[in-house]
Amino acid sequence: MSGVILAVDDSASMRQMVRFTLEGAGYKVIQANDGVEALELAKTSGADLVLTDVNMPRMDGLTLVRELRALDSYKYVPMLVLTTESGQDTKMRGKQAGATGWIVKPFNPEQLLATIARVLQ
Amino acid sequence: MSASTAESTKGASATAAGFTPELQMANMLGLCEAQMESAIHDSDKAVDALIQAFTCLVDTSRSVNALTAQLPAEIRETVGVGLNQQVEAISKQMASAVVAFQFYDKLSQRLGHVRYSLSTLALFVCDRAQTTSPDQWRRLLNTLRRLYRTDEERQIFQSVMEGIAEEGTVTIAALKKDTDAVQVGEIELF
Repeated sequence: MSGVILAVDDSASMRQMVRFTLEGAGYKVIQANDGVEALELAKTSGADLVLTDVNMPRMDGLTLVRELRALDSYKYVPMLVLTTESGQDTKMRGKQAGATGWIVKPFNPEQLLATIARVLQ
Repeated sequence: MSASTAESTKGASATAAGFTPELQMANMLGLCEAQMESAIHDSDKAVDALIQAFTCLVDTSRSVNALTAQLPAEIRETVGVGLNQQVEAISKQMASAVVAFQFYDKLSQRLGHVRYSLSTLALFVCDRAQTTSPDQWRRLLNTLRRLYRTDEERQIFQSVMEGIAEEGTVTIAALKKDTDAVQVGEIELF
């Protein structure tokens, strides 16, 4: 597998878990602590996929998705939301913001990789 | 105890000039919150150390895997197969550990919500005008409802609040779930 994945989560341990999983499969992982940091990072280092949490300080994940979708370079980039939230309302807001899919934590490493491979096709 | 709760109880203490049930309640809630904050802080440190150790384990396992691939063909045929099997077994265990670590993260988040609930309630009970108003209680309940966003939190909130409404009490047994199976979250593509 190849490609650059931008992983966004305010929890350092979650970022570690995502990094282990994705790097083990051959992806390059760049990380951000919140939406603001992710937006800056996304502009300077083109990511092939964005994997973001929802609740974060400064800028939440759904706002990040919306902001990225407004950029020409991220119009068609897959964006997956990885969160503990599973309510239909929030999912719907994610879909409307432009998210490609919704993954509820805790993720299973194999399933996460299969999902990423699928949306990157 | 959060700064806002401390301020509130201090304020209540100054105005009440002595014992009031509201102040006692706020103090008790503040105590619960402080105990929880301290426990979470200590656990975070322990889990951070565990994650560091896990990171080393992952790196070592990957190095062994890479070294195995570099072995001369004749050695790889004999020793390499066994090594690969061992590395594969470790990888499976690591996948389970990745799921388990995420449960801790979720636990921290849920306890954070409980702490917030306690400090909100501590502020609330300091104001007698609020505590005697059913509307204000409903408002408080709605604030807390919005706070609980995971499946588990919502289920517990619903069970407890419906239990209170229907029977006046809720038993722990009613909230017990099958904890044997480790469940991972759902995936939905839009």
